[in-house]
Amino acid sequence: MIEKIKPSTSEKIIFSFILILGLLCLTTFFLLKDKCLFIKNYDPQKINFKDPSNIAILNVECGNVIIELYPDISPNGVKRFKALTQAGAYNNIAFHRVIKDKLVQAGDLEFGKKGNIDYGKIGTGKSGLGTINSEVDKEFDYIRGSVGLARSLKYNTEDSQFFIILEDKPLYEGEYTPIGKVIYGIEVLEKIKYLDKSEYVLRPDFINFLKMLK
Amino acid sequence: MKIFNLILLYFFLIWPVQADTIYELTKIPNLEIYNIKTDNKLRYLYAKKPFTIGIDNNINCYQPSKQDLDKKYQIIEKNLNRYSKNFLKKINLKYIVLCKDLSISGINTAGIPDNKMKTLILDIKFNEKYFERVIHHEVFHIINDSFKDIFNEKTWSNFNPIKFNYAECSTCTKKLGLDTYSKPNGFITEYSQSTASEDMAEVFSHLMNGNMPKKIDPILEKKIKFIRMNILKIDKNFIL
Repeated sequence: MIEKIKPSTSEKIIFSFILILGLLCLTTFFLLKDKCLFIKNYDPQKINFKDPSNIAILNVECGNVIIELYPDISPNGVKRFKALTQAGAYNNIAFHRVIKDKLVQAGDLEFGKKGNIDYGKIGTGKSGLGTINSEVDKEFDYIRGSVGLARSLKYNTEDSQFFIILEDKPLYEGEYTPIGKVIYGIEVLEKIKYLDKSEYVLRPDFINFLKMLK
Repeated sequence: MKIFNLILLYFFLIWPVQADTIYELTKIPNLEIYNIKTDNKLRYLYAKKPFTIGIDNNINCYQPSKQDLDKKYQIIEKNLNRYSKNFLKKINLKYIVLCKDLSISGINTAGIPDNKMKTLILDIKFNEKYFERVIHHEVFHIINDSFKDIFNEKTWSNFNPIKFNYAECSTCTKKLGLDTYSKPNGFITEYSQSTASEDMAEVFSHLMNGNMPKKIDPILEKKIKFIRMNILKIDKNFIL
């Protein structure tokens, strides 16, 4: 006859500990995999905007980034950005240049398209609409969330690429054409894929869509 | 050797990317902001560590002490405040880099202008006697580089006596004296005789500094007129 042995108190404690540890491991594994956890996704339809015609919605993996555009500061820059946005040109375009907690850059329509990325040339692509003149004369505070048009080393070479800064960069004033500011969802951009060793990202994150609210 | 290479590679691979906004804009490493809240939008930067730049790494400069920096900044800012925001934009000057013991190919120099990068590097330890004047001298090189057609060197050289020839370059001559001649003979300093560009910069800096010689000869008179007239072509409100 087999004698039934009751577990001692210490054995019960060890068993419970192992069970809890296992549960914790499992939960952590699934939770950590979700990089968008705790990121609030803003619904633009539930927000009242003063001028909805100058609101752009940038949708990425972790949610919406809501950008207010400033045509008074850079009429041509905003006009170009709106034209490309309304044409859906930014949809599925890579965030090809990302510096952790500092900057994200996208908008290479030629070499940054999902499924057709050219890593050798990304960042040099054109929109086909030609370059526009820099608009850097008006005062603008390049604070966290500011959106500017990227250019080559020379002025007046802005085209389709834009960047959003994740920290204040006062030296950018007078250097880059500002087109707007992120008013909701900047934390979404902090989750964009970056590399520790390079500003240019291999297998980057993409813009799902970029559209105007109205 | 293989182990050494592996260690080197390891360090390279773990080195994180550093986004240096100032480097991105000026292509000069090791700089820090000194003051960027200025009326004419000049951005003053200083060397927090020594830096080396140039095609052959031939330009060197070192970090100044806080005391020297604070003292010289007052003088530099006072002088550069005479240039308006609009004028600076036209001539393409935005960043003033303050450092000490600036040299190019081992030769000490007061400043290195680079209108393409919108940058003027100034040696804050340069000879006190000429310091303020030299600031304007270096600014003129930026002006000249941005408006080569206006400040035409051939037209300028024609002011000189027929037999006179400038040196091939500013460092290709021993005529380096910066003392203002009391009796000029077409040239305001010895250094004026080095190149046309340096000659123009010397005349301009004396005009800005207000220390023209009492007696001015006919050649120098023409040169002064040339500078005054052409600066107004860039900015009709420029006060010289």
